[in-house]
Amino acid sequence: MELISSHFQKPQNVGDISSGGYVGTAGSLVCGAVVRVSLRIDGTQRILDARFKAAGCSCLVATASFLTEEIKGELTGEVGALAQPPASTVRQALGQIPTDKVHCVSLFCEALLSAITAYSDSMRDEWHGEEALICSCFCVSERTIEDAIRAGGLRTIAEVTKACNAGGGCRSCYSLIEDMLASAS
Amino acid sequence: MIYLDNNATTRIAPEVLDAMQPFLTEHYGNPSSAHSLGRAMKAGVEQARDQVASLLGASDSSEIVFTSCGSESDNWAIGGFLEQNPNKRHIITTRVEHEAVRNLCEHLGEIGNEITWLEVDGNGELNLDDLRHALRRDTGIVSVMLANNETGVLFPIKEIGEIVRGNSDAVFHVDGVQAVGKIPINLKELDVDLFALSGHKLHAPQGIGALYIRKGLKLPPFIIGGAQERGWRGGTPAVPNIVGLGAACELAGKSEGHDEVRRLRDRLEDRILSGIPNSLLNGSADRSKRLPNTSNISFQYVEGENILMLLDEAGICVSTGSACHSANHQASPTLRAMNVPYTAAQGAIRFSLGRFNTEAEIDQTLAVLPGIISRLVEMSPYEKELRALGARG
Repeated sequence: MELISSHFQKPQNVGDISSGGYVGTAGSLVCGAVVRVSLRIDGTQRILDARFKAAGCSCLVATASFLTEEIKGELTGEVGALAQPPASTVRQALGQIPTDKVHCVSLFCEALLSAITAYSDSMRDEWHGEEALICSCFCVSERTIEDAIRAGGLRTIAEVTKACNAGGGCRSCYSLIEDMLASAS
Repeated sequence: MIYLDNNATTRIAPEVLDAMQPFLTEHYGNPSSAHSLGRAMKAGVEQARDQVASLLGASDSSEIVFTSCGSESDNWAIGGFLEQNPNKRHIITTRVEHEAVRNLCEHLGEIGNEITWLEVDGNGELNLDDLRHALRRDTGIVSVMLANNETGVLFPIKEIGEIVRGNSDAVFHVDGVQAVGKIPINLKELDVDLFALSGHKLHAPQGIGALYIRKGLKLPPFIIGGAQERGWRGGTPAVPNIVGLGAACELAGKSEGHDEVRRLRDRLEDRILSGIPNSLLNGSADRSKRLPNTSNISFQYVEGENILMLLDEAGICVSTGSACHSANHQASPTLRAMNVPYTAAQGAIRFSLGRFNTEAEIDQTLAVLPGIISRLVEMSPYEKELRALGARG
């Protein structure tokens, strides 16, 4: 609980990305909390800055403060994968969270995924390529994934997500990536 | 430590501790024993019974029975009466009762009784016509609190008693837990049959309560056992706590202190409401309709739990209107019944003062609070709404 307490006492990254940010919001009808996260993302799908605003319990505020700090410099795909339910890695990183507070962590992850989805949606709108698109969440083409697998000698979906974002969103491309991994080995 | 949570519990008063001390040390007999040690205990219990009866304005101290807490008194009054009168299956109560009555009545509804829940308006007040219409031939008991624990709103139990008495055969139970010691009560002037109180709300220790049972009213024993409490509640009584409750009632019956609590509460409330733009009073603005020690104030668009934690960090103890638990985190049933908007109920803080608070403590709270609220306003995603209230630039 120390991490939670220190982040609640001195929350980091309170605010908004002034312009060009990707915004995600989540609210809970159960507990009435609302949280908004905004991300600045560069051309290589890397999160440069993350900010939040929240009206919710101290655990939500602390989660938002901690995670906005942690995800800076990370690829959107990786962060998307971390935020997917049940977000076990995030929960572990936060330390002992009482079971009745797990929903606060989930709520922030939901807002974070929503911001990343806003980003990937905007990328998809700009997609004019001719190649087959495997991961539609992050606009990753078949050739990009094949290149990443070959160059890195990748063997798992997690490695692929880390290398090129593919598979970091809705996961519907998992079976396609698995096929590509199988044929490469 | 600045303690502004006196509706949750209170500090034991020095006079109360002094009165209890001999009964925790040299007086160690059983009040049922015939020897001198036992008789000293018995005398302590009976003196306390007189003190409680006197504060409540009961016509006879035999109308007072000691229990372990306010919830026990409520459960015994309502559950006991229904057990005694199996043909009366209709209960009337309000939406804003303490859990001891509300959850009990919900349970009684599930096992075959019929419950009428009286609604409150935005000020937390009842419409007495609702009560008139709800009374029936088979109404067994009407249970209404005297003072609401969250907002301090007072229900007009004199009028309610008259309506119940004039229009039905029902008995009238009053949950007086939050009112005793804070406002004058005179049961002789009220058509009240049963009245619950709790010691720790008026500077007696936790673990002691009492139930007033109007003379002549039949109620089955709460604990079947020995002849203690004239057979109504078997088991050796908690003599030190009983003596403490008696001393607390005597202390509360003296006039000093009450005006000061009211003055400090008014000072706190006035300055918060005029100085913090997103603040909003919950409960009647007419202070004669509220307890003199309680202010329930919403800080709109921010989270009450955050305020509580930051005030706690500053050494100030308050309560929120709700607690965050995944399964049942909801605004308090009282605030919901009053139709307080969600975004206001979420930021509700209850300040409840007591006889030990000082003006310096109130001013310290007033010095710390605006900074805490503006910090949370800065963090709130409701920028537009807060700007409309003038709470941010």
